[in-house]
Amino acid sequence: MTLKGLVAGGWGLAVALAIFAASRLLVAQTPPDWKALEGEMMRHYQAVLRLDTTNPPGNERIAVEYLKQVLDAAGVPNQIFALDANRPNLVARLKGSGRKRPLLVMGHTDTVTVDAAKWKHSPFSATREDGYVYARGAVDDKDNLAAALMTMVLLKRNTVPLDRDVIFLAESGEEGNSNFGIQHMVAQHYADIEAEYCFAEGGGVTRIGGEPKFATVQATEKIPRGIELVAKGISGHGSVPLKSNAIVHLASAVARVGEWRPDVRLNETTGTYFRRLASIAPPETAARYRDVLSADPKVRAAADDWLFEHEPQHSSMLRTSVSPNIFSGGYRSNVIPSEAKATLDVRMLPDEDPAKFLAEVNRIINDPAVEARFGAQNTRPPGTVARVDSEPFKAIEAANRRIYNVPTLPTMSTFATDMAQLRAKGMQCYGIGPAVDLEDGPKGFGMHSDQERLLESELYRFMRFNYEVVLALAAAGR
Amino acid sequence: MTPARIALLLAVLLPPALLAQPGTGPDWTKLEAETMQHYQAVLRIDTRNPPGNETVLVEYLKQVLDKEGIPAQLVGSDPKRSNLVARLKGNGSKRPLLIMGHSDTVTTDDAKWKFPPLSATRDGGYIYGRGTVDDKDNLTAALMTMLLLKRLNVPLARDVIFVSEAGEEGSSGIGIGYLVRDQFPLIDAEYCIAEGGGIVRIGGAVKYATVQTLEKIPRGIELVSRGISGHGSVPLKSNAIVHLAAAVARVGEWRPEVRFNETTGSYFRKLATVSPPEVAKIYRDVLSSDPKVQRAADDWLLENEPRHSSMLRTSVSPNIFNGGYRSNVIPSEAKATLDVRALPDEDPAKFLEQVKRVVNDPAVDVRFTGQNERPATAPPRLDSDVYKALEAAGTHVYNTITLPTMSTGATDMAQLRAKGVQCYGIGSATDFEDPPKGFGAHSDQERILESELHRFVRYNWEVVTAVAGAR
Repeated sequence: MTLKGLVAGGWGLAVALAIFAASRLLVAQTPPDWKALEGEMMRHYQAVLRLDTTNPPGNERIAVEYLKQVLDAAGVPNQIFALDANRPNLVARLKGSGRKRPLLVMGHTDTVTVDAAKWKHSPFSATREDGYVYARGAVDDKDNLAAALMTMVLLKRNTVPLDRDVIFLAESGEEGNSNFGIQHMVAQHYADIEAEYCFAEGGGVTRIGGEPKFATVQATEKIPRGIELVAKGISGHGSVPLKSNAIVHLASAVARVGEWRPDVRLNETTGTYFRRLASIAPPETAARYRDVLSADPKVRAAADDWLFEHEPQHSSMLRTSVSPNIFSGGYRSNVIPSEAKATLDVRMLPDEDPAKFLAEVNRIINDPAVEARFGAQNTRPPGTVARVDSEPFKAIEAANRRIYNVPTLPTMSTFATDMAQLRAKGMQCYGIGPAVDLEDGPKGFGMHSDQERLLESELYRFMRFNYEVVLALAAAGR
Repeated sequence: MTPARIALLLAVLLPPALLAQPGTGPDWTKLEAETMQHYQAVLRIDTRNPPGNETVLVEYLKQVLDKEGIPAQLVGSDPKRSNLVARLKGNGSKRPLLIMGHSDTVTTDDAKWKFPPLSATRDGGYIYGRGTVDDKDNLTAALMTMLLLKRLNVPLARDVIFVSEAGEEGSSGIGIGYLVRDQFPLIDAEYCIAEGGGIVRIGGAVKYATVQTLEKIPRGIELVSRGISGHGSVPLKSNAIVHLAAAVARVGEWRPEVRFNETTGSYFRKLATVSPPEVAKIYRDVLSSDPKVQRAADDWLLENEPRHSSMLRTSVSPNIFNGGYRSNVIPSEAKATLDVRALPDEDPAKFLEQVKRVVNDPAVDVRFTGQNERPATAPPRLDSDVYKALEAAGTHVYNTITLPTMSTGATDMAQLRAKGVQCYGIGSATDFEDPPKGFGAHSDQERILESELHRFVRYNWEVVTAVAGAR
């Protein structure tokens, strides 16, 4: 700008002063040169992807050590809290003026395990190929982890004045052992992470045909409950087939349960989600989203079939879902085993009655030789639904418009996140994430798959999104 | 000469030791403790296969045989998995008789056992343990026969060869396969007796004896389903577990068509003549040319006499199913193994096609495994010395009739039959009701009645002395 306006006096001076004041703020908060930061972002992302934190056993210590060294080098104060020395959590805090209550930004350090033989690129290689990065954790959750780390480093580097503390939590054990991670932090060190708002995994931007179409912000989530099926029969020699064969009984039960789709039931979040989605989707798909909301069971069933086949994530949002994921029975080809066991991954709608649902599963199985029961598997507490008229939701909406040029829909995630424990404490939590292709999940490139991947360009875009949303909420003078 | 005169003449001419022959015989009551000692000893030696480790057991046998002065040697292709061969010489007027018992057992699922599977616990008149009826009963009976032949100085018209082979349960390459291929002169014989038949008790009473003259051919089939992997919170239509479960359910409920051969046809016809009226009707109905009548009998057999059901057809038993490694991950692959026991005349390729038709899912691949296979062979003669001796011992020891049968399980006789040895499968008396109740071979409560173990030792002895004794 020139100083020309400064001498104009009167209204012009006021405007100029206002511009000057604004420009001081802008000087302090010069937008980072995102292009120049890509190398640094990729370095951190690949570094954490290459640390094997598959859970079990987790061993998140190695990821925490890496983060600590980066934060120390950047001068960001941090500490470690651990229930188990190999499975620590890291908390970093940038102090604000205290005018507002803190903002918590999270990323979990562990990943699910791998079936290494199935991977084209070694799951810890973080191989870059055709614009993608392939690795276990690429979209669950080392993307959020690396983006949050970069936000902390940049806030510090750019000495951004803050109205509220920004807390970064890298928690362990999200994938099935949250007792080491979020549960430990909430139960023992809540003062160190307490905040007004939190961001974590759970939402994201959806690309269809390579184009961002809409963004989702996770405002509520389904509740995971494992159901175990155990079939008991008579053991014997495999040369004499027995009617009571435990494998056959269990296979029939799993086939029935696997082909069963529980009733469609929408709640306020999912209803809004599909209505808004219909308003921005191409006509044929929009018709499906409207049909699934239809009161006519036949219309609804046809839309449901289509979604199950083409958009399984949407299908799971319609109901308490059941996925038989483990089946194990028998130990030798010529011995009929006396027992076989299967595990169903059940994701309940927030209002589902677990006892009634279990009774329904038993009715579907309809075999006295097969017992269905809840497993000891980790579950999550039900929590409050995050408000959509809040400051963080608006900041996310604005950033999505600015960075991706897409509208934002509140959604219910089909999977559980560590936000459940925080929402149960009354925190307003919002799930975010980078842009991924809607087509990737069913093609086997999604999270937990054997080809988990993320577009490099979307990693960089998410770094910017994360930083700008945090800035909008926490920077002084906003 | 009348039989009485022959007996008198023999009593005069033969040395006193021979008086301890069938009739006056060994003191069976006194021998029970010795039998039990060896039986429990071999049951307590862990030869679960894999890994087998049969050498430990055959070293025990060798030490027992050495003490008795019976020449024995260990031979094998793997030092941990030796076979034992012992021989008592005869006068050479007839070709040898081979008696066999395999030293390995199938593995165990320890948590399921009431008594530890290697404890050989005696409880309520039974002995419980892995191998009690497969095959440490035959092993012990053959050992006792050898000891008694030597101890009583029984003159023999033919050599009696005792073989305790390793690897019968799925790795016969190091056992009978090795012996037939590399050591055949050591075991070459006119006749052999081994596991495969037995005495059938129903309601606690002996009803008939079976001698195995034919056996089904084991073939493994593997089903592999492939789908898209992903997060368990989003069910996928392609779920490999669900596809495989549906395939296994269909195959498990499928019963291939009933087909008789000469052995099984005559078996069921003879069985009908010695069975109570209601059951006899089932055996006749299953032979009926009316498909409805046959089907009803078939249903009844599957439910109540599964071993007979398996004799009617190429059988399929899905015994292993594995897929998935974490409750919240949909795996991209799942695998199941079917234990298939083919009728001797089954066409493998055609059968595989039938299984594919039943599975009827392009996401599920159906193929034969590389599993151990046995050659198909012709049945032995039923007018031989051995068969007659078996019939006689069946009458004498068990007071029952003998039926030739086809076993549903494979035995090491397949390899010997392929070399022209006339082989007959025998076994101790077991309750017909035991397998469906979970007490049979390979089950988690494998057991034998003590009294039947001792009776079987006597049966074995009578057959061997009748076939090999010099008259």
